[in-house]
Amino acid sequence: MLKKLLKYDLKYTFKFLLVFYVLAIIFALLARAFLGTENSFVLNIFGEIFRGASISMMFSIGINNLMRMWVWFKNRVYGDESYLTHTLPIEKRTHYLSKIITSVITMFVSVAVIALTLIVGFGTKENLEFIKQTFDMMTENYGGEFIIFVVSILFVLFLELLNALQCGFTGIIMGYRMYDKKIGFSVFFGFLTYMISQGAALAVVFLASAVKGDINTLFSAGNANFETLKGFIYIALSAYTAIIIINCIINIKLFKKGVNVD
Amino acid sequence: MMELLECVELNKSFGEKTVLKNINLKISRGKIIGLLGKNGTGKSTLIKLINDLLVPTSGEVFINGKNIGVESKRVISYLPERTYLDKSMTVEQVIAYFADFYDNFESETAKKLLADLNLDVTQKLSKMSKGMQEKVQLVLVMSRKAELYILDEPLGGVDPATRDYILDTILSNFNEGASVIISTHLISDIERILDEVIFIDDGEIKLMADCDELRQRENGSIDEIFRRMFKC
Repeated sequence: MLKKLLKYDLKYTFKFLLVFYVLAIIFALLARAFLGTENSFVLNIFGEIFRGASISMMFSIGINNLMRMWVWFKNRVYGDESYLTHTLPIEKRTHYLSKIITSVITMFVSVAVIALTLIVGFGTKENLEFIKQTFDMMTENYGGEFIIFVVSILFVLFLELLNALQCGFTGIIMGYRMYDKKIGFSVFFGFLTYMISQGAALAVVFLASAVKGDINTLFSAGNANFETLKGFIYIALSAYTAIIIINCIINIKLFKKGVNVD
Repeated sequence: MMELLECVELNKSFGEKTVLKNINLKISRGKIIGLLGKNGTGKSTLIKLINDLLVPTSGEVFINGKNIGVESKRVISYLPERTYLDKSMTVEQVIAYFADFYDNFESETAKKLLADLNLDVTQKLSKMSKGMQEKVQLVLVMSRKAELYILDEPLGGVDPATRDYILDTILSNFNEGASVIISTHLISDIERILDEVIFIDDGEIKLMADCDELRQRENGSIDEIFRRMFKC
């Protein structure tokens, strides 16, 4: 059933985002083509306009992804469509897992599309050369681990976004357990959950610094070394993963207690 | 034999407001039951509790002796009072969706009923009127070989000619041995098809009786009896 549910959930979310994906890449391509034209003031102006449009599309992908996921979750679980959702012969846990897996896949694809748009729109020969030189220099200094380190940073950012998204889901689940002012309570509980998750992440860093004192140097004089920074990122990675899993379990437990649909 | 549906000491409150009080109810197989009451008396709340759309404040609901869950959802075919389908889908896609999730859904029956109603399966739901969307929903619900059909206000908002068509669709399509609960305040329209009635008022079941016996005993139609009982 999870597979079937995922199929429909993914279809629904991508149907809308696909428009933004295509537009972002088209604008980036146009910007690249127009800005690549030498000695043409008018074409360069068009190029800048397309570049601006491409950047705004990238922001739209990011913001839309988060906001739309929350609205979609609310509609499917508590709106008119919930009358179908909750009468399907599917476990509540499966419903939640489908929503969270859909969110992860959608966010991952969105980040990939943003990266692709950046490469298409801004990946000029000079820019790519600059990035390559920077990477070569860092790899020379810190070895092959540097690439893993960069990927880890990106992964932490991804998990941070996923955490924010899931906190929104928690807020909606808790807010809709109230009898009145459900949207207001959803925002409140979502924000509260997010603050608690951030507090928990900080607490993990604090505890880690108590054990591994060099982490403190990251927040003080600025004489931290690469090894310390690497350790810090790995701790953040573990902390966010644990927070997301715990929050997911809490949400499933709350969800399994049942819903009160208007 | 185990009852198809049983509600035991069922209560539902929203904060301070009590909507259902101590509902005890047993529904057996092969009956068409009218859940009748004025607006806002708790009919929809009771139906939502049976369909897992609300959590009871206290009490329990059993389907075939088991609590509400995946198994009960397999055997209940529910038509809510609102349009609940994803409007960006075409009718064809919705049929595929139902076929994917309900083992007892019959796509061919649905297509035949839709053709009878002159509804285009390639049309998007968003392009259809509310009345057309309601007809699609009714067709989807009645195309399942369920054990219990729960229809919440299936006649609300449709013209009298269509009401007859809807009632005929219900009568000719519900699974043999299954029961149908029809919630409505349009009593005179559905009276002819009912075997039993439940009168609900102020969140309480005031009367549950066999239609023929009730008519004989009270010397009037169900509509007249209801009007006499709940005269404002």
